[in-house]
Amino acid sequence: MSDEHRPNPLREGLSTKAVPQPCAIVIFGATGDLTHRKLVPALYNIAADGELPPAVAVIGFARRPKTDEEFRAEMEEATRNFSRQTVRDEIWDGFAKSLFYHQSEFGDEAGYKTLADRLEKLDQESGTRGNRLFYFAASPDKFETIINNLRLAGLNKAHEGAWARVILEKPFGTDLASARHLNRIVQASFTEDQTYRIDHFLGKETAQNILVLRFANAIFEPLWNTRYIDHVQITAAETLGVENRAGYYETAGALRDMVQNHLLQLLCLVGMEAPTDLSANSIRDEKVKVVRSLRRFQEDEVGNCVVRAQYIAGAIAGKPVAAYREEQGVNPKSQTETYVALRLLVDNWRWADVPIYVRVGKRLPKSGTEISVHFKKAPQVLFNRESQVIEQNVLVIRIQPDEGISLRMQAKVPGTSFRIEGVKMDFHYGTSFGKASPEAYERLLLDAMAGDATLFARRDEVEQAWAFIDTIEEAWAAKEDEPKLCTYPAGSWGPEEADELLARDGRSWRRL
Amino acid sequence: MPVAAETFAAGVPVEIGQIQLELKKLWDASNEVMARASLINLAIYSEQPDSLGKNTAIISQLTEDHACRAIVIAADPNAKESGVDAWISAHCHVSRAGNKQVCSEQLSFSLRGKQCGLLPNIVFAQLDSDLPLYLWWQEEFRAPLDPQLWAWVDRLIYDSQTWRNFDEQMNLVETAQEEARQRIVLCDLNWGRLVQVRIALAQFFDHPVTHRHLTQIEGVEIAHAPGFRSTALLFVGWLAGQLGWEHGEDKDGSLGFRFQDEEEHTRTIEVKLREKEGEPISDCKVITESAEFRIEHRTGADLLDVFFGRTEGRKMRQVLPAGKNDPVELVQEELMRGGPHRVYLRAVSKVRDLL
Repeated sequence: MSDEHRPNPLREGLSTKAVPQPCAIVIFGATGDLTHRKLVPALYNIAADGELPPAVAVIGFARRPKTDEEFRAEMEEATRNFSRQTVRDEIWDGFAKSLFYHQSEFGDEAGYKTLADRLEKLDQESGTRGNRLFYFAASPDKFETIINNLRLAGLNKAHEGAWARVILEKPFGTDLASARHLNRIVQASFTEDQTYRIDHFLGKETAQNILVLRFANAIFEPLWNTRYIDHVQITAAETLGVENRAGYYETAGALRDMVQNHLLQLLCLVGMEAPTDLSANSIRDEKVKVVRSLRRFQEDEVGNCVVRAQYIAGAIAGKPVAAYREEQGVNPKSQTETYVALRLLVDNWRWADVPIYVRVGKRLPKSGTEISVHFKKAPQVLFNRESQVIEQNVLVIRIQPDEGISLRMQAKVPGTSFRIEGVKMDFHYGTSFGKASPEAYERLLLDAMAGDATLFARRDEVEQAWAFIDTIEEAWAAKEDEPKLCTYPAGSWGPEEADELLARDGRSWRRL
Repeated sequence: MPVAAETFAAGVPVEIGQIQLELKKLWDASNEVMARASLINLAIYSEQPDSLGKNTAIISQLTEDHACRAIVIAADPNAKESGVDAWISAHCHVSRAGNKQVCSEQLSFSLRGKQCGLLPNIVFAQLDSDLPLYLWWQEEFRAPLDPQLWAWVDRLIYDSQTWRNFDEQMNLVETAQEEARQRIVLCDLNWGRLVQVRIALAQFFDHPVTHRHLTQIEGVEIAHAPGFRSTALLFVGWLAGQLGWEHGEDKDGSLGFRFQDEEEHTRTIEVKLREKEGEPISDCKVITESAEFRIEHRTGADLLDVFFGRTEGRKMRQVLPAGKNDPVELVQEELMRGGPHRVYLRAVSKVRDLL
């Protein structure tokens, strides 16, 4: 066996993963919010946990003039504000030495040539060994320019024995055509193996736990099908409005912003078959089958199966909030949906005739993301007589906040009469495991450095998801007023039409 | 909640037969938002006179991160009068979510004289069903071991650093393991002391380029605190077990190991151990033909200074998390990491004659 493939014998029995190879991480959009709030704090936390490679260089690439020292000072402030761990001077001092700033316009070819020179120099000085990780934290309309310039500077190709990878932030396209176009652009410079499309929901501990829950517990999998499951609900609720993202949100809307990526990814984890192994491609092969099996809507079905809505003025936590159309940067006649509810069907053996209801909305009364699996009721005999209403068993997987799992079941109320009530068995991560989980970005950055693409979306997953979403967007665009854009007061659980979507099937949304 | 264990008092005195009932009352009396949580049964056995208070304090810290049903046993087998007393209490901590208290129960027992023989009976009667039993044995093991007790233990926690005769104690532990049909996982806190040093050394060799150095090791130098020679030897045993070394000829105060490289040449490794005040392992140097890997742990520091580079060339420096030689931290580490500890058994087998 060559040294390259030989496992490190000293790693056996240690619970930490092998430290990734030394590398240079170039962040495009280094002065942006994502770098300040997530990326650099995540890298610091990885360093503090001792999991960053011994030789690493983080190069911020942006257009504003700045020295390395100024960049380090800004990043220190950001890390002190946003890191999950308290920043320790002795760790920060070492970490800060690996931070550099490279000033260039994204469209300036010369800036990439000087970047290439600088990376070569860092390889010599810092021992980063020619390994490169390019993180696209810039606005998606800059992706093409950056990728082309990376190729022109020869940065898409690594030296022999080294690697070059690219991490792309969402949104990855705005429809199937743009996603395909972007994929073509990316793959003209980087192969699929080099491409990591990030969806931070997949880095969350509870999202990863869905596979463990399903495939490491013998009691669930036999029931996980159309014979025993009545329906599934996936909810992503936010109390926030558009904040400072009005420009982007106006062109995206809830369907593109949340459903195409995060919620369909959760749906895949809930709906997929057991993979043959835990390799990235085995898992992603199974996930993509779920998206491919989603029943496509005919144009005239969209009105019945999809509800789109926008919030009007209301109140959140007792404080009045403005209507979406009154938010800064939003068109006063905006037709953008801030809420969407869908009734989906997965046409495969396991999920035949099991509706999957998905809803996502801004300015809802409570923030939370969860999946609830509603099992069929017990047969209408014994306790299920007319006088007694027996609820379904519901398994709830809480993705955020208060991550955990609960199971609702029926129990006899103490007393001489035979009264039955629903009770809840509850597992909270925070209660059972005191230690805080790493942030999603920490896990995902480490995985990308280590070359593990399991928690990243593959090209076909992204394109299949867009192909599905496009059928809805196209139906909306085909007829101006159908389906109509409903409204809901901020602080409510969405429009009545969304309740009717389930009421027609004799069901109702789960109260979070 | 009527009982606040933060004072490290043993809690409310109860009759042994009434423990479950009293526990129920304890929870029923609570009006606050709190959740009772338990992932394991953690029993601690000690014969030290002040152990009840000391171990209650330890449990209070452990339950911050590891919800459990704690069973704290203070035994005095030599007491002239036999007797048994029991107390119940709870350790509550605000959860990470910050909106509720997470509470773990503690049952405390004082056994005296002949009543010490009741140990298995007491432990078994108070277990939270279906949860694994971790037994932390703070004493030396004495023959004969009670097979009734070991049959139910999932993980046996002990600290070999305090053993006066490693081989004799290990024989007893292995007997217990055999009686439990190999079900017991042996968790040596002395091995736990090495976790961060092992991680720090292992990470040098994660990169394929550095793999070759593993077959070029010529010497190992370890500075250990007085009384921690066994810790240093376990570290040497780990290297020997993982890298295929055999104990050979010792000379001039150094230990000799040898192994056959891929070309079937016999190579020798000289291992030097020296005593130095400070952390259990305060300095560890691995020397190869062309490079040097060094880990330093300054006294009281919670970070390791790690250096590597060519023997005569520039060294790269890194700081990595260090372990703490503190029973709470060591047990926490064990509870967090778990695993079957096969590597530990391999390490022991390599240096058993030296321990």
